[in-house]
Amino acid sequence: MKLHEFQAKALFRDYGIPTPQGELANTVASSIEAANRIGYPCVLKSQVLRGGRGKAGLVDIVHDAEEARTASEFIFASDWKVRRVLVEPTVDHVRELYLSFSADAPSGAHLLLASADGGVEIEELARTAPDQIIRARIDSIRGIMPFEARALAYDLGLSPAIAKNFAPIVEKLYRLYVEKDAELAEINPLFLTSEGTFVAADAKISIDDNALFRHTEFQQEDADFDSDIAREAAAEGIPYLQFDGDISLMCAGAGLTTAVYDLVVDFGGSVANYLEFGGPNYRKSVRAMELCVRNNPKVILIVTFGTIARADIMAEGIVEAIGRLKPTCPIVTCIRGTGEEKAHEILRGAGLTPLIDTEEAVRSAVALSKGGRP
Amino acid sequence: MSILIDRTTRAIVMGATGSEGSFWTGHMVQLGTQVIAAVTPGKEGERVGDIPVYHTVHRALNARGPADAAMLFVPPRFTKDAVFECLDAGIKLIVTVADGIPLHDALQIRAAARASGTTIIGGNTSGIISPGKAMLGMFPYWIERVYKPGRIGVMTRSGSLTNEVTAMVVRAGFGVSTLVGVGGDPVPGMRFAEVLAALELDPETDAAVMIGELGGTMEEEAADMIRSKAFTKPLVAFVAGRHAPQGKRMGHAGAIISGGKGSALDKIHALQSAGALTADRASMVGTLLAEALAHFAPPRGITA
Repeated sequence: MKLHEFQAKALFRDYGIPTPQGELANTVASSIEAANRIGYPCVLKSQVLRGGRGKAGLVDIVHDAEEARTASEFIFASDWKVRRVLVEPTVDHVRELYLSFSADAPSGAHLLLASADGGVEIEELARTAPDQIIRARIDSIRGIMPFEARALAYDLGLSPAIAKNFAPIVEKLYRLYVEKDAELAEINPLFLTSEGTFVAADAKISIDDNALFRHTEFQQEDADFDSDIAREAAAEGIPYLQFDGDISLMCAGAGLTTAVYDLVVDFGGSVANYLEFGGPNYRKSVRAMELCVRNNPKVILIVTFGTIARADIMAEGIVEAIGRLKPTCPIVTCIRGTGEEKAHEILRGAGLTPLIDTEEAVRSAVALSKGGRP
Repeated sequence: MSILIDRTTRAIVMGATGSEGSFWTGHMVQLGTQVIAAVTPGKEGERVGDIPVYHTVHRALNARGPADAAMLFVPPRFTKDAVFECLDAGIKLIVTVADGIPLHDALQIRAAARASGTTIIGGNTSGIISPGKAMLGMFPYWIERVYKPGRIGVMTRSGSLTNEVTAMVVRAGFGVSTLVGVGGDPVPGMRFAEVLAALELDPETDAAVMIGELGGTMEEEAADMIRSKAFTKPLVAFVAGRHAPQGKRMGHAGAIISGGKGSALDKIHALQSAGALTADRASMVGTLLAEALAHFAPPRGITA
């Protein structure tokens, strides 16, 4: 779960990492008022979770009230559905650094990345100045030690006086990253001021979804979902991704659904949604199909190869769903695994043709989605 | 032989008293796995079938003798604790099927596995099976067109796709020596490269099939194993997610392209350039395998 910049910065302040003193505004008028209070020049930063807001003109430095109006009008009118703007004073700085913690899967360590050349995205930095990036692996069982933060400061070429201010920032960010179960905690840019202190000019934090049970302080907002259907699927615990094509995928298992997605595109079709109703959700056929139907797909494609999820129970659910929802589009089924003979009987009884070959099923669905015969 | 488990493996099962745990423990025994004890805190004195239950791993081993392996049917939030309990008892092979282990727990599990030389399979996996011999996990081994004994090692990040692809291996006339589900999480306990190292040494495995997907670096590490000649048998790879959009998590927690890295196409290129055969579709896996084995001459000193 990604946090908004203003949420991440509030966490920074909780952990003692300095940030600019900003104000959150949710209308054009309140943005201008906030800018007037903060003084000019100041920065208007759209609070959106998608990347690329800077390039889209949704982050702007303004020098007077008129500019603040123009900029905030542009931001709130954009098709990014911006609901909040963070208004912050500009911060004088002499240098921009990069600092982050993330997971290093092969070693099982936390990965500490830093650069004295921040401000651009780390991927770009890795391309343009790979030797400027310093990597350290932090033992995930032992945790970070002060010497590791010191070593980083000196490896970055900071002077002793500045290194003394930098090392605590590293340790504080680490503490936040671990205590909040973050997948990523990133400060980029981290401003070095002319007084030798540090200010986090931006903040990126992503919390591990699997650890949200021990962090009830984080709640996903409705507006953070791609669609209403995606929000309802999440509430139901059904893995779902919104697309805008023709074929609704109602499949079981992440790997199989992903492979079916590939095949649909390979065979010239397009996907309306990705939906998994396998594993713990295999009794939720009715709810799953209801979500699919709301996309008005041209075809619903059902592919499963179940282990725990019994094929016959899925088939019963599918027949029940068809009876209740009466979808107008054709349904292609390819249901295999435990209980498949009985499942095929059930499907035939409901007038469906049970297929057993995934590629044949996908070809058939793509043909139907283009108005052809299966 | 087979890798990691066979008929001689003595296993304990944690969480065998739950409905899923007892169902699959029964099937593990039925397939031939030696389950010497079950562990569920608070339930010592009960039985799962013929298997006695103990409060702790240490108490189980004291009563029943040493164990080679532990199978964990433990919810994700308690998995780290269960894994460390097994490590503390010196168990060298641990399989955890839990789906949803917190990332930082998984990192500590991986770090502990490396530090102690323990093999930890999972989470978010069906486990491991050597068809006809033994199983630690949840595989529908009764589906004959998938779980046929043979000489192909299979390793996979997905459960559902494993049935799909392995059925194609069997359809082409082959069978499976050992199938290892490394799981769909971003930080698995055992990685593809480590499975390959074991398959390389197994005289009963002629070739490997890898069922990978977008996200992470495990497929690239497997390619490195081929390049450095640490794995010299034929490898056929199927990598799902070729058309997955950037930044969207495709089902598995580990299946995401982030920072421009981890795309299925990058993985396919890495594997191809190392000399692996790659299948765009599951149906091609069997044919590619037959082709690879026809051209493969085992190096001297290794018997096929």
